[in-house]
Amino acid sequence: MGIRFLTFCLLAILSISVDSRPVSYPGGYTLMTKADNFQNSVYMHYSPTYKYSIGIERKKDKRIEDQYSLLRFTYLVNRKNTHNSQRNLYFQSGFSLDSNDNSFYGIHGDWETRRYFIGFDFKKVESINQIFSEQKYQIGFAPYLGEYGDLHTWIMLKATKNSITDTTSTYPCLKFFKGDNLLELGYNGKSNWDFHFMRRF
Amino acid sequence: MKNIFFITFAISSFSLADSMMHHSHEDTHNSQQHNTEIFVDGNNFGVDQKRFSNFVKNLSGAKVAVISVQGMVCDFCARGIEKTFKKDENVISVDVDLNKGKVLIAYKQESEISYDDIKEKITANGQNATKMEVLDL
Repeated sequence: MGIRFLTFCLLAILSISVDSRPVSYPGGYTLMTKADNFQNSVYMHYSPTYKYSIGIERKKDKRIEDQYSLLRFTYLVNRKNTHNSQRNLYFQSGFSLDSNDNSFYGIHGDWETRRYFIGFDFKKVESINQIFSEQKYQIGFAPYLGEYGDLHTWIMLKATKNSITDTTSTYPCLKFFKGDNLLELGYNGKSNWDFHFMRRF
Repeated sequence: MKNIFFITFAISSFSLADSMMHHSHEDTHNSQQHNTEIFVDGNNFGVDQKRFSNFVKNLSGAKVAVISVQGMVCDFCARGIEKTFKKDENVISVDVDLNKGKVLIAYKQESEISYDDIKEKITANGQNATKMEVLDL
Protein backbone atom coordinates (compact mmCIF):
# COMPACT_ATOMS: atom_id res chain seq x y z
CA MET A 1 0.00 0.00 0.00
CA GLY A 2 2.71 2.43 1.06
CA ILE A 3 4.99 2.00 -1.96
CA ARG A 4 2.10 1.92 -4.41
CA PHE A 5 0.64 5.06 -2.90
CA LEU A 6 4.01 6.83 -3.00
CA THR A 7 4.51 5.79 -6.62
CA PHE A 8 1.07 7.10 -7.44
CA CYS A 9 1.84 10.41 -5.72
CA LEU A 10 5.14 10.78 -7.57
CA LEU A 11 3.47 10.10 -10.91
CA ALA A 12 0.77 12.59 -10.10
CA ILE A 13 3.32 15.21 -9.12
CA LEU A 14 4.56 15.07 -12.70
CA SER A 15 1.19 16.18 -14.01
CA ILE A 16 -1.33 19.08 -13.53
CA SER A 17 -4.87 20.23 -12.83
CA VAL A 18 -6.72 21.12 -15.98
CA ASP A 19 -9.33 22.89 -13.96
CA SER A 20 -7.25 25.49 -12.20
CA ARG A 21 -6.02 28.61 -13.93
CA PRO A 22 -5.96 27.37 -17.53
CA VAL A 23 -4.08 30.51 -18.59
CA SER A 24 -0.97 31.77 -16.80
CA TYR A 25 0.76 35.16 -16.68
CA PRO A 26 2.47 36.42 -19.86
CA GLY A 27 5.46 34.28 -20.76
CA GLY A 28 4.55 31.67 -18.16
CA TYR A 29 4.77 27.93 -18.61
CA THR A 30 2.52 25.61 -16.65
CA LEU A 31 2.88 21.90 -16.08
CA MET A 32 -0.17 20.00 -14.93
CA THR A 33 -0.88 16.41 -14.07
CA LYS A 34 -4.19 14.83 -13.36
CA ALA A 35 -5.11 11.32 -12.27
CA ASP A 36 -8.56 10.02 -11.52
CA ASN A 37 -10.66 6.98 -12.33
CA PHE A 38 -11.43 8.31 -15.84
CA GLN A 39 -8.02 9.42 -17.01
CA ASN A 40 -4.34 10.09 -16.39
CA SER A 41 -2.94 13.12 -18.13
CA VAL A 42 0.10 15.34 -18.35
CA TYR A 43 -0.44 18.79 -19.80
CA MET A 44 2.09 21.54 -20.51
CA HIS A 45 0.96 24.94 -21.71
CA TYR A 46 2.48 28.30 -22.53
CA SER A 47 0.74 31.66 -22.19
CA PRO A 48 2.04 34.35 -24.58
CA THR A 49 -0.39 36.77 -22.91
CA TYR A 50 -2.83 36.45 -20.03
CA LYS A 51 -5.62 36.06 -22.62
CA TYR A 52 -4.75 32.64 -23.99
CA SER A 53 -2.60 29.55 -23.69
CA ILE A 54 -1.52 26.83 -26.06
CA GLY A 55 -0.27 23.46 -24.96
CA ILE A 56 0.05 19.76 -25.44
CA GLU A 57 -1.66 17.17 -23.32
CA ARG A 58 -0.82 13.49 -23.24
CA LYS A 59 -3.81 11.57 -22.01
CA LYS A 60 -4.71 8.02 -21.13
CA ASP A 61 -8.48 7.81 -21.34
CA LYS A 62 -9.65 4.90 -19.22
CA ARG A 63 -13.24 5.10 -20.49
CA ILE A 64 -12.37 4.39 -24.11
CA GLU A 65 -9.14 2.51 -23.38
CA ASP A 66 -7.07 4.80 -25.52
CA GLN A 67 -3.94 6.94 -25.28
CA TYR A 68 -3.50 10.05 -27.35
CA SER A 69 -2.03 13.55 -27.46
CA LEU A 70 -4.05 16.73 -27.78
CA LEU A 71 -3.07 20.13 -29.03
CA ARG A 72 -4.98 22.45 -26.71
CA PHE A 73 -6.04 26.06 -26.92
CA THR A 74 -7.62 28.05 -24.10
CA TYR A 75 -8.90 31.60 -24.48
CA LEU A 76 -9.99 33.96 -21.73
CA VAL A 77 -13.30 35.25 -23.06
CA ASN A 78 -14.08 37.51 -20.17
CA ARG A 79 -12.53 38.59 -16.89
CA LYS A 80 -13.87 40.95 -14.31
CA ASN A 81 -11.59 42.20 -11.54
CA THR A 82 -12.84 43.95 -8.45
CA HIS A 83 -11.04 44.82 -5.23
CA ASN A 84 -12.32 41.64 -3.58
CA SER A 85 -12.97 39.23 -6.42
CA GLN A 86 -12.07 37.92 -9.83
CA ARG A 87 -14.37 36.24 -12.31
CA ASN A 88 -13.17 34.36 -15.41
CA LEU A 89 -14.85 32.74 -18.36
CA TYR A 90 -12.70 30.62 -20.69
CA PHE A 91 -13.27 28.86 -23.97
CA GLN A 92 -11.26 25.66 -24.22
CA SER A 93 -10.64 23.27 -27.06
CA GLY A 94 -8.32 20.52 -28.17
CA PHE A 95 -7.81 18.12 -31.01
CA SER A 96 -5.82 14.97 -31.38
CA LEU A 97 -2.34 14.99 -32.88
CA ASP A 98 -2.50 11.25 -33.45
CA SER A 99 -4.34 9.38 -36.17
CA ASN A 100 -7.52 9.04 -34.13
CA ASP A 101 -10.16 11.77 -34.11
CA ASN A 102 -10.33 12.76 -30.47
CA SER A 103 -11.29 16.35 -29.85
CA PHE A 104 -13.16 18.47 -27.35
CA TYR A 105 -14.45 21.97 -26.81
CA GLY A 106 -16.16 23.65 -23.93
CA ILE A 107 -16.26 26.46 -21.43
CA HIS A 108 -14.75 26.89 -18.01
CA GLY A 109 -15.73 29.56 -15.52
CA ASP A 110 -14.72 30.53 -12.02
CA TRP A 111 -15.38 33.27 -9.54
CA GLU A 112 -13.37 33.70 -6.41
CA THR A 113 -12.65 35.95 -3.51
CA ARG A 114 -9.95 35.36 -0.95
CA ARG A 115 -12.49 33.36 1.04
CA TYR A 116 -14.88 31.72 -1.46
CA PHE A 117 -14.62 29.94 -4.79
CA ILE A 118 -17.18 28.66 -7.29
CA GLY A 119 -16.39 27.14 -10.63
CA PHE A 120 -17.85 25.11 -13.43
CA ASP A 121 -16.55 23.28 -16.46
CA PHE A 122 -18.42 21.95 -19.44
CA LYS A 123 -16.86 19.86 -22.21
CA LYS A 124 -18.15 18.11 -25.29
CA VAL A 125 -15.80 15.27 -26.15
CA GLU A 126 -15.76 13.56 -29.54
CA SER A 127 -13.84 10.42 -30.38
CA ILE A 128 -14.06 7.66 -32.96
CA ASN A 129 -16.10 5.51 -30.64
CA GLN A 130 -18.38 7.94 -28.92
CA ILE A 131 -19.51 11.48 -28.27
CA PHE A 132 -20.18 12.54 -24.73
CA SER A 133 -20.28 15.56 -22.46
CA GLU A 134 -18.70 16.23 -19.08
CA GLN A 135 -19.81 18.69 -16.45
CA LYS A 136 -17.91 19.70 -13.34
CA TYR A 137 -18.85 22.05 -10.54
CA GLN A 138 -16.77 23.21 -7.61
CA ILE A 139 -17.51 25.29 -4.56
CA GLY A 140 -15.05 25.98 -1.82
CA PHE A 141 -13.89 28.17 0.98
CA ALA A 142 -10.59 29.03 2.58
CA PRO A 143 -10.62 28.23 6.31
CA TYR A 144 -7.97 30.90 6.91
CA LEU A 145 -6.56 33.78 4.86
CA GLY A 146 -2.85 33.35 4.37
CA GLU A 147 -0.42 36.09 3.47
CA TYR A 148 1.46 36.24 0.18
CA GLY A 149 3.90 33.33 0.03
CA ASP A 150 2.16 31.32 2.76
CA LEU A 151 0.59 27.92 2.30
CA HIS A 152 -3.01 28.53 1.22
CA THR A 153 -5.64 25.88 1.85
CA TRP A 154 -9.06 25.43 0.31
CA ILE A 155 -11.79 23.02 1.30
CA MET A 156 -13.79 22.18 -1.80
CA LEU A 157 -16.85 20.22 -2.79
CA LYS A 158 -16.65 18.90 -6.32
CA ALA A 159 -19.37 17.36 -8.46
CA THR A 160 -18.76 15.66 -11.80
CA LYS A 161 -21.20 14.25 -14.30
CA ASN A 162 -20.73 12.71 -17.70
CA SER A 163 -23.28 11.60 -20.23
CA ILE A 164 -21.84 8.09 -20.63
CA THR A 165 -22.75 6.90 -17.18
CA ASP A 166 -25.32 9.64 -16.57
CA THR A 167 -24.38 9.63 -12.91
CA THR A 168 -23.23 12.45 -10.71
CA SER A 169 -20.34 11.98 -8.35
CA THR A 170 -19.99 14.47 -5.52
CA TYR A 171 -17.03 14.41 -3.20
CA PRO A 172 -14.88 16.63 -1.00
CA CYS A 173 -11.38 17.68 -1.92
CA LEU A 174 -8.57 19.72 -0.48
CA LYS A 175 -6.58 22.23 -2.48
CA PHE A 176 -3.21 23.58 -1.39
CA PHE A 177 -1.29 26.51 -2.92
CA LYS A 178 2.25 27.43 -2.08
CA GLY A 179 4.32 29.69 -4.28
CA ASP A 180 4.15 28.36 -7.83
CA ASN A 181 2.67 25.01 -6.82
CA LEU A 182 -0.84 23.72 -6.46
CA LEU A 183 -1.89 20.33 -5.14
CA GLU A 184 -5.44 19.05 -5.14
CA LEU A 185 -6.63 15.82 -3.54
CA GLY A 186 -10.12 14.42 -3.64
CA TYR A 187 -11.60 11.10 -2.68
CA ASN A 188 -14.86 9.27 -2.75
CA GLY A 189 -15.76 5.62 -2.41
CA LYS A 190 -16.80 5.26 -6.05
CA SER A 191 -14.09 7.07 -7.96
CA ASN A 192 -11.23 6.61 -5.50
CA TRP A 193 -8.48 9.23 -5.64
CA ASP A 194 -8.76 12.39 -7.67
CA PHE A 195 -5.30 13.92 -7.78
CA HIS A 196 -4.08 17.13 -9.44
CA PHE A 197 -0.76 18.86 -9.31
CA MET A 198 0.30 22.05 -11.03
CA ARG A 199 3.52 23.98 -11.24
CA ARG A 200 4.17 27.30 -12.95
CA PHE A 201 7.48 28.40 -14.35
CA MET B 1 -31.34 22.34 -24.41
CA LYS B 2 -30.14 21.27 -20.96
CA ASN B 3 -26.64 22.44 -21.87
CA ILE B 4 -27.85 25.88 -22.97
CA PHE B 5 -29.79 26.20 -19.72
CA PHE B 6 -26.70 25.18 -17.75
CA ILE B 7 -24.45 27.73 -19.50
CA THR B 8 -27.01 30.54 -19.12
CA PHE B 9 -27.51 29.71 -15.46
CA ALA B 10 -23.76 29.58 -14.76
CA ILE B 11 -23.05 32.93 -16.44
CA SER B 12 -26.02 34.60 -14.70
CA SER B 13 -24.83 33.31 -11.33
CA PHE B 14 -21.38 34.80 -11.91
CA SER B 15 -22.78 38.19 -12.85
CA LEU B 16 -24.95 38.20 -9.76
CA ALA B 17 -22.01 37.25 -7.55
CA ASP B 18 -19.92 40.07 -9.02
CA SER B 19 -22.65 42.58 -8.46
CA MET B 20 -23.02 41.48 -4.83
CA MET B 21 -19.27 41.71 -4.25
CA HIS B 22 -19.20 45.23 -5.68
CA HIS B 23 -21.69 46.43 -3.06
CA SER B 24 -19.93 44.46 -0.38
CA HIS B 25 -16.60 46.09 -1.28
CA GLU B 26 -18.05 49.61 -1.01
CA ASP B 27 -19.28 48.83 2.48
CA THR B 28 -15.99 47.26 3.53
CA HIS B 29 -13.94 50.16 2.23
CA ASN B 30 -15.94 52.72 4.18
CA SER B 31 -15.70 50.81 7.42
CA GLN B 32 -12.00 50.04 7.11
CA GLN B 33 -10.77 53.51 6.30
CA HIS B 34 -10.56 54.63 9.90
CA ASN B 35 -8.93 51.69 11.59
CA THR B 36 -6.55 49.72 9.40
CA GLU B 37 -4.76 52.10 7.08
CA ILE B 38 -1.54 53.87 7.91
CA PHE B 39 -0.29 57.34 7.29
CA VAL B 40 3.29 58.09 6.25
CA ASP B 41 4.25 61.76 6.08
CA GLY B 42 0.56 62.59 6.10
CA ASN B 43 -0.26 60.32 3.16
CA ASN B 44 -2.71 57.47 3.50
CA PHE B 45 -1.06 54.44 1.89
CA GLY B 46 -3.72 51.92 2.88
CA VAL B 47 -1.23 49.17 3.62
CA ASP B 48 -0.80 46.91 6.58
CA GLN B 49 1.54 48.72 8.96
CA LYS B 50 3.53 45.68 10.07
CA ARG B 51 3.98 44.41 6.51
CA PHE B 52 5.01 47.85 5.29
CA SER B 53 7.53 48.28 8.12
CA ASN B 54 9.11 44.91 7.34
CA PHE B 55 9.28 45.72 3.66
CA VAL B 56 11.04 49.07 4.06
CA LYS B 57 13.36 47.94 6.88
CA ASN B 58 16.54 47.88 4.77
CA LEU B 59 15.47 50.19 1.98
CA SER B 60 16.90 53.47 3.15
CA GLY B 61 17.26 55.89 0.22
CA ALA B 62 14.84 53.96 -2.00
CA LYS B 63 11.54 54.99 -3.52
CA VAL B 64 8.53 52.85 -2.78
CA ALA B 65 5.52 52.72 -5.09
CA VAL B 66 2.32 51.56 -3.41
CA ILE B 67 -0.14 50.41 -6.04
CA SER B 68 -3.78 49.46 -5.52
CA VAL B 69 -4.63 46.46 -7.68
CA GLN B 70 -7.99 44.90 -8.47
CA GLY B 71 -8.36 41.16 -9.09
CA MET B 72 -5.43 40.09 -6.95
CA VAL B 73 -7.40 37.55 -4.95
CA CYS B 74 -4.89 34.75 -4.65
CA ASP B 75 -1.19 34.01 -4.47
CA PHE B 76 -1.22 32.69 -8.05
CA CYS B 77 -2.72 35.95 -9.36
CA ALA B 78 -0.01 38.02 -7.73
CA ARG B 79 2.90 35.78 -8.67
CA GLY B 80 2.98 37.08 -12.25
CA ILE B 81 3.10 40.68 -11.03
CA GLU B 82 6.08 39.95 -8.82
CA LYS B 83 7.92 38.16 -11.64
CA THR B 84 7.22 40.96 -14.11
CA PHE B 85 8.55 43.75 -11.90
CA LYS B 86 11.56 41.78 -10.70
CA LYS B 87 12.81 41.78 -14.30
CA ASP B 88 13.21 45.58 -14.06
CA GLU B 89 16.82 46.35 -13.07
CA ASN B 90 15.66 49.48 -11.20
CA VAL B 91 13.51 47.41 -8.87
CA ILE B 92 15.10 46.39 -5.57
CA SER B 93 12.25 44.31 -4.18
CA VAL B 94 8.56 43.58 -4.54
CA ASP B 95 5.96 42.62 -1.97
CA VAL B 96 2.25 41.91 -2.16
CA ASP B 97 -0.39 42.62 0.45
CA LEU B 98 -3.25 40.33 -0.56
CA ASN B 99 -5.50 41.51 2.26
CA LYS B 100 -5.38 45.14 1.16
CA GLY B 101 -4.97 44.51 -2.56
CA LYS B 102 -1.66 46.39 -2.70
CA VAL B 103 1.62 45.82 -4.49
CA LEU B 104 4.71 47.42 -2.98
CA ILE B 105 7.63 48.04 -5.31
CA ALA B 106 10.94 49.44 -4.07
CA TYR B 107 12.91 51.30 -6.73
CA LYS B 108 16.45 52.66 -6.70
CA GLN B 109 16.53 56.33 -5.72
CA GLU B 110 17.51 57.56 -9.19
CA SER B 111 14.65 55.71 -10.93
CA GLU B 112 11.88 57.45 -12.77
CA ILE B 113 8.62 55.84 -11.71
CA SER B 114 5.92 55.93 -14.33
CA TYR B 115 2.38 55.11 -13.27
CA ASP B 116 1.39 54.51 -16.91
CA ASP B 117 4.18 51.96 -17.30
CA ILE B 118 3.25 50.19 -14.06
CA LYS B 119 -0.43 50.23 -14.98
CA GLU B 120 0.36 48.75 -18.38
CA LYS B 121 2.43 45.93 -16.85
CA ILE B 122 -0.29 45.08 -14.35
CA THR B 123 -2.96 45.13 -17.06
CA ALA B 124 -0.78 42.85 -19.19
CA ASN B 125 -0.74 40.46 -16.25
CA GLY B 126 -4.53 40.34 -16.14
CA GLN B 127 -5.24 42.65 -13.19
CA ASN B 128 -6.10 46.36 -12.95
CA ALA B 129 -4.10 49.07 -11.21
CA THR B 130 -6.37 51.78 -9.86
CA LYS B 131 -4.11 54.05 -7.85
CA MET B 132 -0.44 54.65 -7.10
CA GLU B 133 1.39 56.62 -4.47
CA VAL B 134 5.16 57.02 -4.20
CA LEU B 135 7.10 57.41 -0.99
CA ASP B 136 10.73 58.56 -0.74
CA LEU B 137 12.45 56.78 2.12
